[in-house]
Amino acid sequence: MIEVHELRKVYGDRTILDGITASFARGQVVALVGPSGGGKSTLLRCLNGLESFDGGAVTVGGDRLVPGGAKANRAALHRVRQRVGMVFQQWNLFAHRTALGNVIEAPVHVKRVPLAEATERGKALLARVGLSHREGAYPHEMSGGEQQRVAIARALAMDPEALLLDEPTSALDPERVGEVLDVLGALAADGLTMLVVTHEMRFARDVSHRTLVLHGGRIIEDGPSREVIDHPKHERTRAFLGLDRR
Amino acid sequence: MNRLWWVLVLAMAVLSCRGRAVVVGGGLARVRAAGVLRWGGDIQGGEPYVYEDSEHGGRLTGFEVELANALARELGVRAQFVQNDWSALIPTLERGTFDVALNGVEVTPQRVGRVRFTRPYYIFGARLMARRNDPSVQPTLASLRGRRVGTLANRFSYELLRNVAEVVPYEGVEEPYIDLVQGRTDAVLLDDIIAARYGEPKPELRVVGDLADGYYSIALRPADDDLRAALDAALARITASGELERILRGANIFNDRQRRLVTWTDDDQRRMLGTAAAGQRFGWSHVALFGKGALVTLLLSALAMCLAIPLGLGLAVARLYGPPALSRIAGAYVELYRGTPVLLQLYVLYYGLAPIVRLNALSAAVLGLGMNYAAYEAEVYRAGIQAVPRGQMEAALSLGMTTPLALRRVVLPQAFRLALPSVTNDFIALLKDSSLVSVITVVELTKQMTITAVDIRGWGLPGALCALMYFTMSYPLSLLAQRLEARLARS
Repeated sequence: MIEVHELRKVYGDRTILDGITASFARGQVVALVGPSGGGKSTLLRCLNGLESFDGGAVTVGGDRLVPGGAKANRAALHRVRQRVGMVFQQWNLFAHRTALGNVIEAPVHVKRVPLAEATERGKALLARVGLSHREGAYPHEMSGGEQQRVAIARALAMDPEALLLDEPTSALDPERVGEVLDVLGALAADGLTMLVVTHEMRFARDVSHRTLVLHGGRIIEDGPSREVIDHPKHERTRAFLGLDRR
Repeated sequence: MNRLWWVLVLAMAVLSCRGRAVVVGGGLARVRAAGVLRWGGDIQGGEPYVYEDSEHGGRLTGFEVELANALARELGVRAQFVQNDWSALIPTLERGTFDVALNGVEVTPQRVGRVRFTRPYYIFGARLMARRNDPSVQPTLASLRGRRVGTLANRFSYELLRNVAEVVPYEGVEEPYIDLVQGRTDAVLLDDIIAARYGEPKPELRVVGDLADGYYSIALRPADDDLRAALDAALARITASGELERILRGANIFNDRQRRLVTWTDDDQRRMLGTAAAGQRFGWSHVALFGKGALVTLLLSALAMCLAIPLGLGLAVARLYGPPALSRIAGAYVELYRGTPVLLQLYVLYYGLAPIVRLNALSAAVLGLGMNYAAYEAEVYRAGIQAVPRGQMEAALSLGMTTPLALRRVVLPQAFRLALPSVTNDFIALLKDSSLVSVITVVELTKQMTITAVDIRGWGLPGALCALMYFTMSYPLSLLAQRLEARLARS
């Protein structure tokens, strides 16, 4: 459902994405791994147009994004962003809204869902991420793990066909990582399409179906997760995984 | 809170020690010993009184300069000019900065009770002017009942008009006639010297007539009565010798009225001074007027802020998110309005644009202050918007919001909360800046204070009450700003 073709992005004299081609099927859970600066987050941000690119194309459902940023993609961007949800490393919850307020904001104001209906749905989503008791809490009153789970519920509230997650556990205290991974595992079991940039190799291996290794703006390895992680072919993947496992 | 009251009490005590002469008695001996007669005036009053002659390198010129020189010569000393704002000539005389005030100081009942006057050196007519096409204005005070008449605050003409017409007080000599031409007022009553220079050259205006005679005299501190006597004698000598007439003719202001100066008697002097009314006491009627002035100040500030907030928001958003052309225009607006004095902006809006849009004074004041403060608000919001983390905008966009919706629902509400303490502080500043609008004839709290101070011959009580009223309006706002800041710091 998401096609990436020859995607290129240059920043000054640095090439961030050097001709990425890949396609992601419905229901697939994909882990994007690799060393910092390899282009994982940038690739993810290109998929919903938060980042512009210089060559190639991204197709989501039937909507095509081309180089030129917001100006060139105005109509497509709006539809693409409703098809794919995004979860950020730093949560980015709306600071002036409660947990429930964060979840219902976009359904009410973008999709024009009636408030009562959106509220009911929002409460159900908060229950799904285990936060029924925190509906009225403001972001600054919640832990990082709680905020990230609200952010996941907020993204799900728009009924996305796929979820993009940019290092969803990297900014969390170690003891909070588990609660977020549990939620993601449950979503994967429900069949949600997810692309996850992560450093959690256990999650990549046990939950994701497929793992892509990015290095220097290229995909250097792509295959079933267990295969890639247990028997890496590329020497850089081996080096990366070896360092990571310590 | 206790300390605050002490500050207030102290301020009142200072204010109520109203300008008593610092130097007392023996004025003539002092002037002779110093060898100079220091005389106060304001070159802003312009030609023909005292002005800088631009053709002669800014040399001090005017009939009052020649008069001062002649009088000093009679006393055997040198004349020395001291520049001072006209409206503060009397208080400055009282605190002893100069020996005499000599600059079109009219003999009015209020002043007679406060200073000593010499015999007059000029007799002027209070000249009434109206538009040529308006025959309804007659050369009587009665015909002005209920009409809008322009003049300068606290002048002789102002005293004639109050309780008769709706007086519109100006601060400059040219503006009353500009407004009369524009139709903002029905007539202007001012000294004939002023009318001849600033009113009569305008073809749209006509002279209706002179309503009363008034006198320019030299004002001295009561303690300097011997200096007053010496100056009276000197004036008598130069009047009799024809030197005064020559000076007045040189300035083109001699007329038949001035012949009375030659035959001036002690009875004439008593009659001139006899118009002295007992000084008004500061009473409840003044407090009511102050209340009205405070209401004008509050209304004006609130309306101006109601304009500044949305306009400033629009400017900030245009500057940050608008297309390049709009962004540049918004930037230019902010720089222009912040980079020029608000006083000048009010002048341009009220007088400069009068031929195109004829705003009434209050609308011009609201618009002028509002447009000026919008520039400051725009910068406050810009800082607020930039202080909202970028991730908030990204999260909103990734949920399918358009940029305008994301701004409205996510970024601006947070930016506004960040900006609120600064906005409150700006409103406090605006409350006090609003006193500037007296230049376009709006009588607000500060103007009311200066008018009353002249009426009751003292600045102490009116000043303290005025300060108290400003404080009463701004202190609760100040507390509000502190609470908002504290709330912001908590979250």
